[in-house]
Amino acid sequence: MLAQVLVSSVTAGAVYALIALGFVLIHKGTGVVHFGYGDQVTFGAYLVLIAQMAVTGLPFWPAVFIALVVSALLGALIYGGFMWPLRNASLLAKIIASLALGTVLREFVRAFMGPNAWPFPFLLSQTAVPVGGVLVVPANLAIVGVSLGILAILFLLFEKTLFGKAIMAACDNRIGASLIGVRVSHVFLLIWVVASVLATVAGVLVAPLLTLSPDMGLIGIKGFTAAVLGGFNSLPGAVLGGILLGILEALVGTYISSALKDMISYGILIAVILIRPQGLLGGLLVKKV
Amino acid sequence: MTEALLRIENVSVRFGGLVALDSVTLEVAPGSIQAVIGPNGAGKSTLLNVITGLYTASGGSILFRGERIDGRTPHAITRRGIARTFQNTELFGEMTALENVMISLDRFYAYGGVTAAWQGRHYRQIETSARDEARELLALVGLAGDENEAAATLPFGKQRRLEIARALATRPGLLLLDEPAAGLRAAEIDALNRILLDLRAQRQISILVIDHVMPLVMAISDRIAVLNFGRKIAEGTPDAVRRSPDVIAAYLGEKAAHAVGS
Amino acid sequence: MPLRPLLFAAAILAFFAAPQLLPEFYLFQICLIAGTALAVLGLVVVTGLAGQISLAQSAFVALGGYGASILAASWGVPLWAGIPVVAVVVAGLGFLLGQMTLRVAGHYLALATLAVTAIVQLALIHWEALTGGAAGMAVPPFEIMGRALTSGRELYYVIVPVTALFILTAQNLIASRFGRALTAIRQSETAAEAMGLDVLRYKAAAFAASAFLGAVAGGLLAPLSTYLDPAQYGITYAIYFLAIAVVGGMTSPTGAVIGSAVFVLLPNYLQAFQSYLGLVFALLLLGFIVLRPNGLSSLPWLRQAGALLHRTTGPKP
Ligand SMILES: Nc1ncnc2c1ncn2[C@@H]1O[C@H](COP(=O)(O)OP(=O)(O)OP(=O)(O)O)[C@@H](O)[C@H]1O
Ligand SMILES: [Mg+2]
Repeated sequence: MLAQVLVSSVTAGAVYALIALGFVLIHKGTGVVHFGYGDQVTFGAYLVLIAQMAVTGLPFWPAVFIALVVSALLGALIYGGFMWPLRNASLLAKIIASLALGTVLREFVRAFMGPNAWPFPFLLSQTAVPVGGVLVVPANLAIVGVSLGILAILFLLFEKTLFGKAIMAACDNRIGASLIGVRVSHVFLLIWVVASVLATVAGVLVAPLLTLSPDMGLIGIKGFTAAVLGGFNSLPGAVLGGILLGILEALVGTYISSALKDMISYGILIAVILIRPQGLLGGLLVKKV
Repeated sequence: MTEALLRIENVSVRFGGLVALDSVTLEVAPGSIQAVIGPNGAGKSTLLNVITGLYTASGGSILFRGERIDGRTPHAITRRGIARTFQNTELFGEMTALENVMISLDRFYAYGGVTAAWQGRHYRQIETSARDEARELLALVGLAGDENEAAATLPFGKQRRLEIARALATRPGLLLLDEPAAGLRAAEIDALNRILLDLRAQRQISILVIDHVMPLVMAISDRIAVLNFGRKIAEGTPDAVRRSPDVIAAYLGEKAAHAVGS
Repeated sequence: MPLRPLLFAAAILAFFAAPQLLPEFYLFQICLIAGTALAVLGLVVVTGLAGQISLAQSAFVALGGYGASILAASWGVPLWAGIPVVAVVVAGLGFLLGQMTLRVAGHYLALATLAVTAIVQLALIHWEALTGGAAGMAVPPFEIMGRALTSGRELYYVIVPVTALFILTAQNLIASRFGRALTAIRQSETAAEAMGLDVLRYKAAAFAASAFLGAVAGGLLAPLSTYLDPAQYGITYAIYFLAIAVVGGMTSPTGAVIGSAVFVLLPNYLQAFQSYLGLVFALLLLGFIVLRPNGLSSLPWLRQAGALLHRTTGPKP
């Protein structure tokens, strides 16, 4: 029983981890916390449906491809149209803008695709396969695999390559970065594009598991919690935080009360913010004056 | 010898692995102008920040008028009589010069919420006196006429002086200045020196001033301490410090020290 | 300077004339604008002035509405007494939440307050015995001196004066040392501390004020809507308040009224596009924060009118 709960919970955890990775990528790379990211995940899944509606008879995979391309453009639009003009604005304005972006996407979907849930196809088989006494679902396993794969790629990119170091330089010290020839605006643009594509990947994977409705983006809070739990600047922390949150929720849901499940994760969010704001794997910063 | 106004004893500050201050001991005598100089990253600003409670010391103690102030909140330390300016000016940019100064004064011209909500005669009287004192302080630093300019729109030199007026409005016994002369022209530096000397003479305010540039500090300070890599490497009268080979080495490198020494 | 008394007289005249001249529909809308503006006024204080982002306003409004209604339904406390009592309790909660700003700022604060709204909403849904659960609960009528105020026309006499009182009070407090302190804290917390302000206490007080105003607004809006649905008090509602504050002008109490008027009245003109309403609101928020972050109340002609008024109220420069 416990083993089964844990195995199943890892899927939910991987979903959170995937979204948390996007948050951390944007925050680490551009210094913005994107409150609309959860809605971008939802929007990505809807893009597949919209592509299939626009071109009748379009098969699933080409539709996913189109969705990825469109979301890359969306990322560029978000940076060029909003984040770049706001680069010198107050943190408050940036937070509100990112909240607004998410709300626009959510309400766009609600207005044009209706408020109700849509069915969304699974990528892989849903039939459970027994592995060593517990049931494992390939579709769920894929999510875990994809999260870990993306983590590996991002981790290598950020920590091991010159390009990754240039990104960190751009984020920490814009003037310094431009002195050594890093075009900050290009780096930021790239990050927004990559993160937006990542959101759509997450959306396509997650939509069949959850119910695809305009409000699916609320899953973003879970992604936040995972990111905060792991340490907002740490990519491995995002994955660790996601998995941990998934397991915690499953344990509370199974052994205490399923009604309490969501409250627990919000409680965790507040507790971590208060007790250890740098998260499990992050470092604490003192404001320099 | 009289008791020190401020006494810093073996204070250390760490950021992760970096030791920004390494067991520094320093005193400010009442009525004196004490300078702290040192190259970039020596820990000068960190010293001010730990005195004013913005950073926490990882060791040592800080006494002001004989009482421990380390571990207290910054506003409590200010209320005990230590005021400061910031190296990269931290003005309330959208507020006027007058309002910037009134922020520090409001504590001395207090009134309750009901008075503020009603805005009767009593309220207007208190506000007017606060305004008058703020005007005087602005005039003192040469900002008469700039009262209603937004702080952010003032030229750099005036922003610097506004910081001093705002600090004075907390009615300090000790004024801490973080590189007040950086970026100022020669004439402005002279004016600044005169203001600081007047403050000491007329308001009995002691001053701890940080600087990079020797000549400015030299002209007005009684004693100079030199920081390098978080350690105090020399202290004494301006003349003694100028001749110290350690100090020359810190600023110009070993070679220059040898050249001067030989 | 006879401008101020003149305006005052005109406002009072308009206040008593409106119920005679306007149909119930518009009076109801005026009540809705006033109640919403009161909730947004809370955001103006905590987010606009003190610079502390809060997505908890939705929770405070919910607690005010539910708290007063539960007191009335289960213990027979009339709303006119229950609303202030609940508001004071909620203000205490706001003060505690404000203590959080000792450790948290910026996006972490946004997250934490978001979580508060989510937790309160979940509690309303799951604490069925008290709140009626997901189905919601009916609000007992607002009774005063043996008379039940049920229509917008009647509640008008309660909601509008209360809002006006708080708006005027807020305006005066903002002009005083309290508003100055909050503004300073918004621009540089470090400098404000260094100038001797107890920043944490001010921030906590700002949160308490926003909670109080939110709870009063929730309490007054409850009998107007006659029914409380927990689905309403979610994150979307918190962003709705934020949007109103941004569109009206974050730092201005009159901006809260202007913004509320826009958001309440706009749907009347978009009858044919009901399903696009959320999108329109979201686009308004996005457009304003990028292009005109100081909102409508910063429009030059409105500012001039405001300055004209203020020159007669504020202390002489
Ligand atoms: N808040 C902080 N977090 C991390 N490191 C810090 C912080 N404040 C200062 N430091 C580090 O401590 C060291 C001393 O810095 P400090 O600002 O005190 O130097 P300084 O003598 O004032 O230099 P400057 O002349 O450039 O102003 C530097 O290496 C700096 O990077
Ligand atoms: Mg410095």
